[in-house]
Amino acid sequence: MSAAADTKEQVAALGEKYKYGFVTDIEMERAPKGLSEETVRYISAKKGEPEWMLDWRLGAFRRWNEMTEPNWARVHYPKIDYQNAYYYAAPKAPEKKLSLNEVDPKLLETYAKLGIPLSEQKMLAGVAVDAVFDSVSVATTFKAKLNEAGVIFCPISEAIRDYPDMVRKYLGTVVPVSDNFFATLNSAVFSDGTFVYVPKGVRCPMELSTYFRINASNTGQFERTLIIADEGSYVSYLEGCTAPMRDENQLHAAVVELVALEGAEIKYSTVQNWYPGDENGKGGIYNFVTKRGDCRGARSKISWTQVETGSAITWKYPSCILRGDDTVGEFYSIAIANHYQQADTGTKMIHLGKNTRSRIISKGISAGKAQNTYRGLVSVHPKAVNARNYTQCDSLLIGGKCGAHTVPYIESRNPSARIEHEATTSKIAEDQLFYCLQRGISQDEAVSLIVNGFCREVLQQLPMEFAVEAQKLVGISLEGSVG
Amino acid sequence: MNAALPSRDARRAEALESFRERGMPHRRFEHWRYSDLRAILDAGQVAQSGTAAWHLEKAPEGVETFDLGKPDAPDWVMRNLGTIGARPTMKEASLAFADGGIALRVPRGRKIAEPARLQISSTGNVRVLLVLEEETSLTLLETHTGDAGLLRNVGVEIALASQAKLSHVRFAASALKSISVEHIGVTQARGAQYRAHFANFGSRLSRTELHILLQEEDAEAHLSGVNVLGDEGHADLTSHIEHVAGNTRSTQLFKKVAGGHSRAVYQGKITVREGANGSDSRQTAKALLLGGRAEADLKPELIIFADDVKCAHGAAVGDLDPESLFYLRSRGVPEAEARHMLVRAFLEDAVAEIENEELRAAIWQDVEHALPHAMRAAR
Repeated sequence: MSAAADTKEQVAALGEKYKYGFVTDIEMERAPKGLSEETVRYISAKKGEPEWMLDWRLGAFRRWNEMTEPNWARVHYPKIDYQNAYYYAAPKAPEKKLSLNEVDPKLLETYAKLGIPLSEQKMLAGVAVDAVFDSVSVATTFKAKLNEAGVIFCPISEAIRDYPDMVRKYLGTVVPVSDNFFATLNSAVFSDGTFVYVPKGVRCPMELSTYFRINASNTGQFERTLIIADEGSYVSYLEGCTAPMRDENQLHAAVVELVALEGAEIKYSTVQNWYPGDENGKGGIYNFVTKRGDCRGARSKISWTQVETGSAITWKYPSCILRGDDTVGEFYSIAIANHYQQADTGTKMIHLGKNTRSRIISKGISAGKAQNTYRGLVSVHPKAVNARNYTQCDSLLIGGKCGAHTVPYIESRNPSARIEHEATTSKIAEDQLFYCLQRGISQDEAVSLIVNGFCREVLQQLPMEFAVEAQKLVGISLEGSVG
Repeated sequence: MNAALPSRDARRAEALESFRERGMPHRRFEHWRYSDLRAILDAGQVAQSGTAAWHLEKAPEGVETFDLGKPDAPDWVMRNLGTIGARPTMKEASLAFADGGIALRVPRGRKIAEPARLQISSTGNVRVLLVLEEETSLTLLETHTGDAGLLRNVGVEIALASQAKLSHVRFAASALKSISVEHIGVTQARGAQYRAHFANFGSRLSRTELHILLQEEDAEAHLSGVNVLGDEGHADLTSHIEHVAGNTRSTQLFKKVAGGHSRAVYQGKITVREGANGSDSRQTAKALLLGGRAEADLKPELIIFADDVKCAHGAAVGDLDPESLFYLRSRGVPEAEARHMLVRAFLEDAVAEIENEELRAAIWQDVEHALPHAMRAAR
């Protein structure tokens, strides 16, 4: 993205490592504080949802009340008081926006600052954007062009209204309502998110992108994304996230569901740059996200690529259910944790169909006092004849006060399956650093260079517009981590 | 006797309370996810299992022994009993319910050439304590036979003083009627070496768990093992090696062959504690699935808090390589024989880790005996 190209200079100018830490002063409308059936009803009413959707939410809320927060991940945080947060916050704006001209200019300014090309004339060619500000989607670009191809790309609240049959058919089929504590919470209170449907045989003419922004204080963000790629279609989807710098911790619990029907391919890329907290571990986002793709039809493919640099805590396992025969799942990940950040992330590859293949490449980088864990499952069921998996997990430690952990689970119940797993742990070699320094490259630049090299296999998987931003981000996240 | 140390009865009472409080391990205990003990055994049955019969085939000269069932334990027993390594719930049970067991001590400077042969010949609870003082060496052959009762629950403690060297070979015959649980806790001082090999041919549920603390520099642990499982056999090897001090080394090499309806499990956790720079750890676990209903679960885990370390692990699950098989067939080797050769080749490097030639030969013999069971189900 063009604005990201000078990220480094901007960072220097601000004298701040996290350049997205500003707050937009905009009039907000919020649900009453706390979480109850009333909150759920409030959100549903705000969205003008049909009865079935409200029932679905209430069902989730009741189940959530009986669930306990999971504690198996290698992350530590004080108990979250779910009653001490707002579950809905929206910028006060005219009811219906037909074009960007009607969107609050302050909002557009915010997105401009973030480097998100909302105004279509300034757009990078071929990226359609849906922007979610706190709880609601504020603008979606390029709708007309997508309509021509038959692609539906809209806020999920709109989809519930306009395409209820489709939403009902797929919502909650990949991540069931009571899948886990945070997904269930999301099912009850999700406020917006993105809905994508790519019809049969259509190759989506442009990259689709959603930009998530938490702005209001004391607010949780719970977005829900549902992407359906019909038979033989292709779509590439990107998401980015930022939040202001605050001393308090804010909860982000999203759910993403992908459905790939026969012969379809979904490529899902994330650059996650939520506010990570300051260098003393104060503040930052708790990023507790459930992402799962279902390769439902034969020969379908789902590919996850993630660059995780933000958040105080990341708890996230984008997974693939390889249900159809000859389906393919991929997971490419870079997770960077600095200062007091904690990341527990990885994937699950569930091989159910014949000749299913999966590939996992994970690069974890720890610096400062951070803890970074790869946790992944490769499971081959008895019917998954000739399943194949290759996993590579590499960890890089910068400094002696951080932690890098690898927890892979390999479960095979089919003798014809072949699974390979490799993991290494290393540090930045003194001789590499020395080589760079004696050629006049500064310490920070050298670290950025070496780490980018370490991550190259994953960065290559990102769409070009994101790859540039991600590379910069890798450097910035680790500034000052050596010496 | 040292008056400051708690009495054996006091320790057993404490262990009993700890076991009662925590209860039976089950699937929801992260470390027992592949061996659901509670589903087939309850706490009452553990208590009723009584004490296992054991037999030490003439103690090698220079080794001091003590029967833990006898009163007036010497100081070296009291200093160590119930204090080495982690104290998981089943190990507490072995202390609480075993009215006996064996303690061995190798006094400072003694190098014992002849292996100490310890046989645990029935089901029940039992404790084993090994104390190797400075600059000693010993080979321990631990065999398990007898399948009559329900549960064999063994709690082993090993204290290795500086420059002590222990070679430990544990051999468990196929015992598909009974459940076998063993926990081995090891502490290692400067330069101490622990080499262990685990040959396990499957039980109804078999769990061998190790907790090794490399407490001082230059301590080394080298683990290896083979499983040859057929029918309904189950073998779970769970290890946790902690690099507490820097410049410590550990290696692990496990090979598992599973046919029939069997289940082979490996969970290996390496922890490198903060400041333990110069730690070197390698871990390899491979499983060969021969039967349509066999299952392999591998979980090699690295938990690292220091940056100047070398840590790597590899794991793989698969079938016999069809190309190798084809190569042998093309040279006129009959299929059954070719498969047999390839399975042997798969196990070879893990068995080769055993230093004692006689024990190595004995393991091969048992592998040969078990292979037909694993391979029969392959067709």
